Amino acid sequence: MPAPPLAPTSAATGSPVLELDDLYHRWKGPKPPVLDEVSLTLRAGEVTWIGGRNGTGKTTLLRLAAGILLAQRGSVRIGELTPSSKRGLYRRQIGFLSAGDRGLQARMRVSQQLDYWGRLAYVPRERRGAVVADTLQRFGLEELAARRVDRMSMGQRQRIRLAMAFLHEPRVLLLDEPRNSLDDDGYELLSAQIELATARGATVLWCSPRGEDRVIEYDTGYTLNEGRLERVE
Amino acid sequence: MTAWWDAMWGIIRRDAILFVSYRSQLVAQFLGPLFSITLFYYISHVLTARSIHSPGGYFGFVIVGLVIVQILTISMGVMPVTVRQELVSGTIERFLVSAHGPINGILGTMLFPLLNALFSGMLMLTLATVIFGLPLAGTAVLAIPVALLGTLAFMPFAFFLVALVMAFKQASSATQFIVAGVAIVGGLYFPITVLPGWIRWMSDVQPFTPATDLLRHLLVNTPMAHPAAVELLKLVGFVAVLLPAGMLLLRASIRYGQRSGTIAEY
Repeated sequence: MPAPPLAPTSAATGSPVLELDDLYHRWKGPKPPVLDEVSLTLRAGEVTWIGGRNGTGKTTLLRLAAGILLAQRGSVRIGELTPSSKRGLYRRQIGFLSAGDRGLQARMRVSQQLDYWGRLAYVPRERRGAVVADTLQRFGLEELAARRVDRMSMGQRQRIRLAMAFLHEPRVLLLDEPRNSLDDDGYELLSAQIELATARGATVLWCSPRGEDRVIEYDTGYTLNEGRLERVE
Repeated sequence: MTAWWDAMWGIIRRDAILFVSYRSQLVAQFLGPLFSITLFYYISHVLTARSIHSPGGYFGFVIVGLVIVQILTISMGVMPVTVRQELVSGTIERFLVSAHGPINGILGTMLFPLLNALFSGMLMLTLATVIFGLPLAGTAVLAIPVALLGTLAFMPFAFFLVALVMAFKQASSATQFIVAGVAIVGGLYFPITVLPGWIRWMSDVQPFTPATDLLRHLLVNTPMAHPAAVELLKLVGFVAVLLPAGMLLLRASIRYGQRSGTIAEY
């Protein structure tokens, strides 16, 4: 029996959830801006895909949306919440998956890892055990629950990282190359969880290199090129 | 508040799990102090110093300094290293996107090394008493609140080191510099009265000297240079000034990293 939602969303499908306005970011050195007046609205119940060549700024955009980086110019907000003000509440709305295989406590067991993340995400104590058990089941991790993370394959680690992004049922899911190392079963699990999340009103931003748009399902697609977003028709 | 404590406990538990998963660390943490106590026990046999008035002689005097060095080495040495490891492994990103947040996350990361350091200090005193017959004073139990206050006074130095790691990714040389400097001007191995005048002022402008004097007095009954109330007041003053300053510095280093983008670098 799945645990009831932690933060039920009341947003109607299509209503704005995360709004990025005129984002500008430039790295040090004589380089053009990696993001140049980028605006994007993520809507409830929708999946948005952003593609582009390597190094075009997709990860920077995700990090700005997650509040890991602070905007040099422009704004990021979820309703009245921003990464600079009311930042604790802002972060509670975010589920973030970074690219690669980082961000795991290598010597912890899978269930310990999820419990740890549940604590950091402020999942209430009385519900945490059930939420962790439910997440293990949803991401096909039950049999691996007692195993140490550093003894697992890359695909299994990716499932754990995805489980952490989804565990606290955030309103905004920011996924950087989520298919990384996943096998077909893993991809099916991910698709099912994205469907469940959008059904409860969450919004998903999926970033990956060009080409992946041919195999994933999304509502709106963009490519990021020379600091600007171009709509994929 | 329950959620905040749950998260803090989660971080302590995480670090404890990681610590015990490397079993050799447990052994090293027991043997290291035992060796240094043994070394100074025999050094104290060949030393007669008129400037030391501790009832336990030089051994009684230096043992408190050794305990403080041990606490500093474990806390100040481990904290920046741990935060650097968090940067390298990407786990710091978890704090940045969590409800708990980066400041609380880093504070939580400092708790296990601190508890471990205090435990290690107590272990050293126990070994010195049981094996080498250190005469502990009847006031030794009062050293516990003073040690906690002293810890609060040491914390800003750890914040400073962690802020260096957040901003510049490295702090190992600064850690060694601080621990060695404190050992000299804080009077950990010898009384500050033997220092030349031009450097002695440094003994008065940091919290390690009053903390060491108070602990030495309470643990082994060494006479104090100033009344205990004055030293206690100094310590409270240092905590009141340095702790908020350290927190501000830590916060500023994180904001700098987030604004410049270097928070994602390692």
